[in-house]
Formats: sequence, C-alpha cells, structure tokens
Amino acid sequence: MSRPSNFPPPFSAADFVAEPTDPLDERIEVGVLIVGAGPAGLACAIRLGQLLGENPDVAERLGDVPVAVLEKGKQPGSHLLSGAVVDPRGLRRLFGNRLRMEDLPSFGPVPGESVYVLTRHTALPVPPPPPMRNHGNWIFSLSQLGRFLAERAEEGGATILPETAAQKLLVSHGRVVGVRTGDKGRNRDGGELGNFEAGSDLVAKVTVLAEGTQGHLTGVAVDRFGLGGEDPQVWELGVKEIWKVARPLDRIVHTLGWPLRTAKRYREFGGSFIYPMGDDMVTIGLVVGLDYRDATLSVHDLLQELKTHPKIRKIVTGGERVAWGAKTIASGGFHALPSPLHAPGLLLCGDGAGMVNIPRLKGVHYAVESGRLAAEAAFRAVQRGETPATALASYDEAVRDSFIWSDLYEVRNMRQAFGHGFFVGGALASAMTVSKGRAELGKLPAEPDADQPLLVTDRDAGYPAPDGQLTFDKLSSVFASGNKTRDDQPNHIRIERRVPREVAQMWAHMCPAQVYEIGAEDADGTVRVELAPSNCVQCGAITAKGGRLTPPEGGSGPEYTLT
Amino acid sequence: MRFLVFAEQHEGEFVKNSLGVLSKAASVGDADAVVVGTEAGLAGGLGKHGAKVVHVAAGDALTPPLPQPRVDVLAKLAPDYDAVLFGQSVLAADVAAGLAARLEAGLNWDLVDVELQDGELVGKRPALQDSVLVEVGWKSKPGLALFRSGAFDPQESGGEPEVRDVEVQLEDFSTKVEMVEQAHAEESSGPSIEDADVIVAGGRGLGAPENFTLAEELAKALGGAVGATRAVVDAGWYPYSAQIGQTGKTVSPKLYVALGISGAIQHKVGMQSSGTIVAINKDANAPIFEFSDLGVVGDVHEIVPKLTELVRARKG
Repeated sequence: MSRPSNFPPPFSAADFVAEPTDPLDERIEVGVLIVGAGPAGLACAIRLGQLLGENPDVAERLGDVPVAVLEKGKQPGSHLLSGAVVDPRGLRRLFGNRLRMEDLPSFGPVPGESVYVLTRHTALPVPPPPPMRNHGNWIFSLSQLGRFLAERAEEGGATILPETAAQKLLVSHGRVVGVRTGDKGRNRDGGELGNFEAGSDLVAKVTVLAEGTQGHLTGVAVDRFGLGGEDPQVWELGVKEIWKVARPLDRIVHTLGWPLRTAKRYREFGGSFIYPMGDDMVTIGLVVGLDYRDATLSVHDLLQELKTHPKIRKIVTGGERVAWGAKTIASGGFHALPSPLHAPGLLLCGDGAGMVNIPRLKGVHYAVESGRLAAEAAFRAVQRGETPATALASYDEAVRDSFIWSDLYEVRNMRQAFGHGFFVGGALASAMTVSKGRAELGKLPAEPDADQPLLVTDRDAGYPAPDGQLTFDKLSSVFASGNKTRDDQPNHIRIERRVPREVAQMWAHMCPAQVYEIGAEDADGTVRVELAPSNCVQCGAITAKGGRLTPPEGGSGPEYTLT
Repeated sequence: MRFLVFAEQHEGEFVKNSLGVLSKAASVGDADAVVVGTEAGLAGGLGKHGAKVVHVAAGDALTPPLPQPRVDVLAKLAPDYDAVLFGQSVLAADVAAGLAARLEAGLNWDLVDVELQDGELVGKRPALQDSVLVEVGWKSKPGLALFRSGAFDPQESGGEPEVRDVEVQLEDFSTKVEMVEQAHAEESSGPSIEDADVIVAGGRGLGAPENFTLAEELAKALGGAVGATRAVVDAGWYPYSAQIGQTGKTVSPKLYVALGISGAIQHKVGMQSSGTIVAINKDANAPIFEFSDLGVVGDVHEIVPKLTELVRARKG
C-alpha cells in the first residue's frame, strides 16, 4: 500500500529563506521580533516589557518599536485552540506578584475529574492514572487567554501586528535578521488585485519564532540551520466543539477506547476530553495520533460519533453547539525537540518547538515558560557589551535548567513505547511516571506520520449522518469556526495533485475542514486532488500527512473566540 | 421619531438599498431624505417612498461620489433629527463613519431591522454568524445606523415631498480629495445580482461549466440575474462577481431559483432573506430543501429547459 511520504509536495524550505530586498529606508526596524501571538510569543513580549520597563536605556536603544508581535489571524486568539486545562506554573512565574491566577480570564480550577473507558454502549470508570491527575490546574479558553495576554503585552509596550503572515525567514550572512511578511490582495493566479499590498521586510536584532504547532518558519529554520532533533516530529489531530448546555458539568472527563479501534494494525490511538467552561458551556474534543493508517479515518466524524454515546449525549442534550475548531498537537516529545533551540539571531519557543507533554496533555505552561526564557535571552543579547551568540545560547541552557526539560525528559519514551497514543499512552505510561522516568528503556525508534503505509476499510460507512442538532457535517463546522477566508487568493496548500486513490481518500477524510476532494481518475489509476483552500482552518494535519501548509494571506482562517 | 435617510444616487438613479431604508423609516416614524450631488428634479421621486421633506445639496464639488463633502452636508442637517439612516454601500459606509466621527455620534452597523420600543429606537443586528439577532441602541442623539444590503424592500406609500435646497460651506479638508477616474466593473447584460428581483443560481449539481447556460437561459426568460455558489466559482465555472454566500454577495431577490445547489450554510447566509426560494436538486437529502419554499427533487438538466420554455411561452 502507498505511503503518503512517497508523494512529496512541491515545496522547498529554501524558497522561504531570503535576503532582505526592500531598500534600506523601507525596511521596518524593530528591536525584538516575535512571530505568533500565542501563549509563548505573548509571554515573551510581556517579559520583555517587564525587562525594558526596568531598563529604559535599553528600550531606547531598541528604537520606536522595541518589541513587535506578528499574528497571522484576525486578532490575537483567532487561531488559538486547546483543551485547555492549564498547569499554572508558567503563568505564575511570568506574572510573579503582578497578577494572581484569579485575575486571569479562566473558568476556575479543575473541580474534579473522571476517566472512562468506552465501548459503543458502556462507560467503565477507571481511576485517573497519575499523569492525568489535574488537581490544582485551571480551565481556560486559550483563545480568551490569548486576547488577555495580548492586552498585557500591549500595556508593556509591545506592538501587535495582526492579519500579518510571516512568509519568509530573512537571513543575511548566516544570521537571521527578521522575516518578510506575506503579500495581500493577490488573486487565485497570483495577479495583483486593486487592493494589492506587497509584504515588507521586518528586520530585528533577535527573531523569536513562537508560531505554535506546525510553525511555517520554524520548519524552514530547522531545515536551514540543521536544528532537527534526534527523532522526527510527529503529531496528533484534535477536533473540538463548544456547546452551550442546559445542565452544568461538575468535573472534567477524559475517555479512552471507542470510537477508536484497538486492533494494532489500525494504529488508532487517542481519546476524548470533556471540560466544563463555567456553568453553561462545555468543550468536547477528540484527539487522534496522525500515525493512523486507515485512509477513511476522520477525526471530525469520529467526534460526531463520540457524541452519540449515551454517556456523552447526556451531557449535551438540550444544548446547542456554538463553536468548532481543529488543530494538531506536536507529540514527538523530548527526542523530537529541535537541537539546539537557537540559531544566529533566532530563538524557538513553545508548541512550534514541540514542547508538549503528551501523557499529561499539557503544553501551555511550557509555551509560557519558554517564551519567558526566550525574552530573557533576547534581552541579554541586545545589551551593550554582550556577544549575541553567547546570549542566545544561554536560552538553551535556561530551558535545560527549567521544568520544561525535566518534565519532558521524564516522559521521553512514553509515546513511542506505547504505540504513539494520546490517552492510552498516557494511561499505560503511568508506571513510567511512578518511576519518574528512571526506568531505562534505551531510546525507542520513531517514524514520521507520513511514512505509515495506508490501508482502506469501510470505517466511513459507520459515521453518523449529520442531523444538524447533535451531529454536524464538515462545512457547517467550518462555518462555526468563524472562517470566512477570501476565496480569491492563491492556494496556500502544497500537495502532490496526482496521487493513488487511497492517498487522496486519506486526505479527504483526514481534513476536518473539507479542503480536499477526490477528483477525476486518470488512465494510470491515479486521481486528481481538488482543493478548496479557503475552507482551511490551518490545523496543520496536511504537513504531518505528506503535504505542506504555508501561510495564506494574513487575516485568513478561523476566527476562534471560545476555543 | 424623526429620521433623516441618506438617499444615495449614482448618475441620476437611486440605489435600491437606500430606498428600502427610506420606506422602512417612513413606516416607523417621520422620514425625510437627503440627496447629494444631483439637481432637484430627481428628489420628487423620493416622495412615493415616504419622504416628507427632501433636502437637496448640489454643486460641482458635490457631484463626484466622495464621502467628505457628503459628511459636511449631513453634519449640518443631522442635529435636527433623532436618527440618520444609511443603506450599506461603499460610499454610505464611508459617509456614516465620517459623520459619526464628526458629530461624536454612535453608529450601529450591519443592522437588518429597526423598531420603536417605549419610544426608544432599537436596532437589530445579526451576531454569531447570523445565528442570533442582537438588539442595539444609542446613547446619544442623533443615532446613526447603517443597514445591511437588502434589509428592506422599497415600498410605495407617500406622495409629493417638500423639496428644500441645502447650502453648505464645505470644510477645507473636504475639498482636498479629487476624483481622478471612475472605473466600473464590466457590466453584464441584465440586472446586477444585488439589484435583481429574480436570481437563478447554479451549483455543482449543474455538472459542468457549459451547463450554466441552463441558468442563464432561465434567468433571461425571468428577467433576472445569474448567481453561483462558491464551489463552482472555485472550480472556475463562473466568475467570482456572481458568487453568493458568506464570502461572496448577500442578496435578497423576490425569487431565488437554486439549481443543483446543496445549500451549505456558507451559501444559505448569502440568500436566506430571499422572498421565495425554489430549489431543484436530485439529492432529496440536500439541506437546501430545509429552507426552500418550493423544492423539486429531480434532474436540473431535464426540468430547467422545460421550465424556461414554459416561462417564455407564458410571457409571449
């Protein structure tokens, strides 16, 4: 059977590395340039604001715009989606005594928790395995938290540039000197429309890539500077909905098992999360490892199926779906971390660098902590008398000394050991947690998601028909994501357009936003893949499964507010 | 409640949208209108849509469709009114925003309705992707409102208005901009889809780009315009200018005929306020049948040519 990686996309990272081309007086000069207004990038901006506030002389030397944050979404938070049950360590360290957890826009501490193993009709409660114990963690909407952090960053003097995609990495004499932003106002064929606006060169003393999962320039930088980790990065895909509900949910719920199949040949590993968001909302999501093999697997449709389970249906009955979204999660863990986490003029943070603890289902606190540490290294690099190279290298040391490193080291083998599972992996791996990772298993092998050979089953025949009440089709879900991307713009999705049918089928089912359709068949048995790129919610699954997502025009994509 | 309605005109013809807003205003309270950039001759026509007084401001500086001189005119008249109403257009949005800034007045935009509640003006604005209507009000007078395209149909209710000339001293900064050139998108024959009373729209169910002639022929017979779904525009079957839906145009004709359109919500939000919706689709489970007034489960290729023939025969 075919492997998606046998059909590589027409994409070369080198095409996204460039020297600055704008005339000197047209370049936009900033002190520290942060790409991505998520928890990592905004924590970095907030910490820089604190440091520059204490050192006005340094701020002055950095010019009119000491700190700039680029955000490709409509506004900060538009592209943020997570569970999110957040370990408060990162936020507490960032704000110190400036803000308490109670001052942040959360849904409060986790009130209690349950874990169930599901079959089609039953739900067996099991005690939460140690990594999944969430006492002391807080429930957030990451999108809301992003908007809040953006306001704090702006108060600290950062300039946030929304609707701006970081298209190319500017490299001069072997050093990252900023990014080039994407053009706006091009039509499908690349021609200039009436409102065409060329991108600009943003040049900076230090560039911090905090792009989140599947970061475009992070991928480019890893390639350009050889920063790849020991293992290839792998991902899981999460699809979630937010429901207004009639009755409050009094605890967080995780489920394992159904609707995923346990037979090993399918490699279907994952689970669901159901979290209360105050008294009247609930978020419900399903996460599945993208190393699955069945071309007819659709995480979106499995989430729909999950809701038909009596246990789950009971939670949402009488309610109404108000939002939907999808995103990938880096799950390669410790061995897939870029090494080092810096290059000349450049730092890598957060999910983009793969800082996610899969058995604990947590990454927001690592994003915040790595952003904070990146700010301190960047601040050191712009001091008088410092060697920037040494200063940026201190970021790697700081990460190694932080809880990010010790946490991720502890769970370094769990995903590989237990078949790349999200919750199953987490549950079974609790033994490893008990031993604090001291059980020496050596290093277990890992392979890219796109290397998994495909098989085709009739799984899709079992997906429930959308009824518009409990279960929904993909297009109405894209609508619920707030996505109203301009259709008449160049395609931003790079794939091989002629592939064996099972590869096209896999993409069509995989994509939660109905971007891929199977087109006409050729004499040689391959099919043409038709694209509807404006449906794309930029989850990043295609990059894991044999294609490559690049940033569309700034401001495109979903407009998440509650996710 | 005294309303002033910005009656937008281009080359001697009123924009249908602003006439709809005027009719609505006349049904809620006393409606006056203001016309900028044309001679008084045209103004009388506004009476039948309910205008009691029509203010006319004309002059060379006011002829080109530029916003600032219009803001000057409205800023002079607005303080005498409870509310100033606009129908959505590029020019009207500019003028409304400029007037709000000038008067430090509140502007509610994207409204689809307005009513009086206990003597107070309340606007209705769709939110959360049009799934709910939010009531909005104003804290100060005059309140400014910009209505969504096609929110109201023009009604004929009134008679002869009183026409008054307005003399306005333009601000210095209002004359700094000059219209150099006006370009118009290529006009197809027949009405534009924003103004048409009848729209025949085609979706992927037409099967192939050449089958759009089915839609064109039927539209011609009915005196309407042709629309298209995003899917067929994406596939290059029909130009983007005809795209109806969330990322295309929002229309509300009296009759909307959907040929081979499944009715995804992205399409629905662009046409759901149409008067009568007729759908022809061979898939009986297509969502469009949930919101069409008349649904025909069948093959567009068989039905539409016969329907066109029948319409032609009836019309002679």
